[in-house]
Amino acid sequence: MFMHDLGLALQSMRRHPVLSALMVLAIAAGIAASMITITVYHGRAGHPIWWKADKLYAVTLDTRDPDTANAFSGLTRHPEYPPFQVTYRDAKALYRSDIPERSVMMFRSNRVITPERKGERPFATAVRVTTADFFAMFDVPFLYGTGWSRADDDAPAPIVVLSKYANDKLFGGRNSVGRSITIGDRQFRIIGVIDAWLPQPKFYDLNNSGFDLPENLFMPWGWTEALRLPSGGSTSCVRSNAKVGSFEDLLAQDCVWLQYWAELPTAAQRERYQRFVDNYVTDQKQYGRFPRPLNNRIVNVDEWLKMYDVVGDETRIQVAVALMFLLVCILNTFGLMLAKFLKAAPISGLRRALGASRIDVMRQHLVEVVIVGLLGGALGLALSFFGLQAMRAINSRPFPGMDDNPARVAIQQSLTNLDFQMFAVALALSLLTGVLAGLYPAWRVGKLAPSSFLKTQ
Amino acid sequence: MIEMQSVGKVFRTDVVETHALRNFSLKVEPGEFVAITGHSGSGKTTFLNVAGLLEELDTGRYLLDGQDVSKLTDNERSRIRNRKIGFIFQSFNLIPDINIYHNVEAPLHYQRMPAAERKRRILASLERVGLTSRMKHIPLQLSGGQQQRVAIARAISGDPRVILADEPTGNLDTAMSNQIMKLLLEINAAGTTILMVTHNPELAEQAHRQIHIVDGQIDKIHHFAAAKPAIHAV
Repeated sequence: MFMHDLGLALQSMRRHPVLSALMVLAIAAGIAASMITITVYHGRAGHPIWWKADKLYAVTLDTRDPDTANAFSGLTRHPEYPPFQVTYRDAKALYRSDIPERSVMMFRSNRVITPERKGERPFATAVRVTTADFFAMFDVPFLYGTGWSRADDDAPAPIVVLSKYANDKLFGGRNSVGRSITIGDRQFRIIGVIDAWLPQPKFYDLNNSGFDLPENLFMPWGWTEALRLPSGGSTSCVRSNAKVGSFEDLLAQDCVWLQYWAELPTAAQRERYQRFVDNYVTDQKQYGRFPRPLNNRIVNVDEWLKMYDVVGDETRIQVAVALMFLLVCILNTFGLMLAKFLKAAPISGLRRALGASRIDVMRQHLVEVVIVGLLGGALGLALSFFGLQAMRAINSRPFPGMDDNPARVAIQQSLTNLDFQMFAVALALSLLTGVLAGLYPAWRVGKLAPSSFLKTQ
Repeated sequence: MIEMQSVGKVFRTDVVETHALRNFSLKVEPGEFVAITGHSGSGKTTFLNVAGLLEELDTGRYLLDGQDVSKLTDNERSRIRNRKIGFIFQSFNLIPDINIYHNVEAPLHYQRMPAAERKRRILASLERVGLTSRMKHIPLQLSGGQQQRVAIARAISGDPRVILADEPTGNLDTAMSNQIMKLLLEINAAGTTILMVTHNPELAEQAHRQIHIVDGQIDKIHHFAAAKPAIHAV
């Protein structure tokens, strides 16, 4: 019977090709607009390290002044959130806890690298200054060598880990472990090279952009003080009494500029750690710090991305507008479909007289509705593919001052990728669109009394 | 074959109520050929629609082939219509954009009949009306008389117990009308009951009996052939 219904549906479409084409185009336009925005939303809302969803936690402490006038928060829309970064002294205090399986305190800085090869010009690059657990905690893949130990942090050892891009640029992609590079006026030995690694969003430090490249150079934490490294990210002094006139002030005052992460594999560890953090803050209150009620948040990656609002209102509004547009397309298709089905009602009436039940007639029309929906979906998917390609091409264009790291293209790809999940969404959306637009017209034509058409056909 | 007992059918709008059939009682035996006559608006077509289960009756009782069909669901009515009733219309009512073969096939699909059996029946029906050679044509490529013969082939393809014909010669000239009437008489002679609405007294006289309807009620009954099976107004 399905083949019969399919044949009738195709016949009906051939009978009114312009009307059928208009319906397909209307659905395609709606699907394309929706799929482009949903794909971008999907790209931005992805979980970059889902396999550690309930193990990795960002740690935040509410260091702010009590008065709301100075209630700095990472997001003014949510004044209840504590600052997203921690102070230097708090980071060092937290780092003493042995409750987490791993802990990382870190920040982003900028350094000038002088290539080993003569004739190559020095260049500035982003550096992550971090404690040793960074690589193991975030499952960073290594192409050559390894990371460093906590002892190297303390020393600090003159060693670095390079990104693949930096290794390609400095050593032509060859194994550079054991070689040296000059940072500032010091020599650093390379102990590891990271393989292609592009967590999106760059969850471990969302300060500059949620969708940015990891740093090109990784240095042991101990170099912070040894080299008086400035923060290359965001620094905010969250107490009105904080006065920063020197590097030492930055280390001592209530200024937040460090990211702090803990790996807590069990719920019990997480609870213990929360108690530890709360106790620390309570203890600090006696020194006049942390004037607010306890508001220390230890949040997993998912909550962290939501706190930062990585997806962003702009993306959400785009999706909403696209879905509204899809609704308009559905209403248009609905009108066209109703007109088409009612125009063909005499033939449906005849089929009813010949023995088709209401359900037979409805089903036949629903098959047509589904075909129109699927054709619209297929065309819409093709349009969204080209739309996303265009968007990718525009966003991947380098601008002055930007490095030539090819991974930038990969970021755009990850944000505009029509993956299997998106294909499934497109398919479901097409079917839903077709059925929403055609269910009532199909029901209506099935309900018509056949006798009213037989005299006049 | 058909037995209607005090059947009533009313059409209502916001302002007017039309009694299309009033206290309508009729009994038709299997194998009969009954002509239904009457002026426009007398209720002939309503009677045919009620008899063909295209309209529900409001009052009374209707037995078709011994089964009470007065209170059936839409699905049940469709099923009976498909298996027991064949329709022939004044304006042929063929599906314009499919060929003759597929037009005749249409009711057979709803019987969920296997393709081979469908094909056998279609060819047999088209042969009976003499249009096997035209089965690849679409309706517009045929004359009016040929189109009506296709409609007859479609009506008999499902081997119905009764054929309801609503002015089957109304759009045809005399010669064509006679051909169609001849065909209907042959089908009736083979055992199929036929109820035919007509304005043409000459055609009506070829039936076993003519029932004249006025204002939704049987006004007169004429018997034309004593040798033919009895039909009764009850």
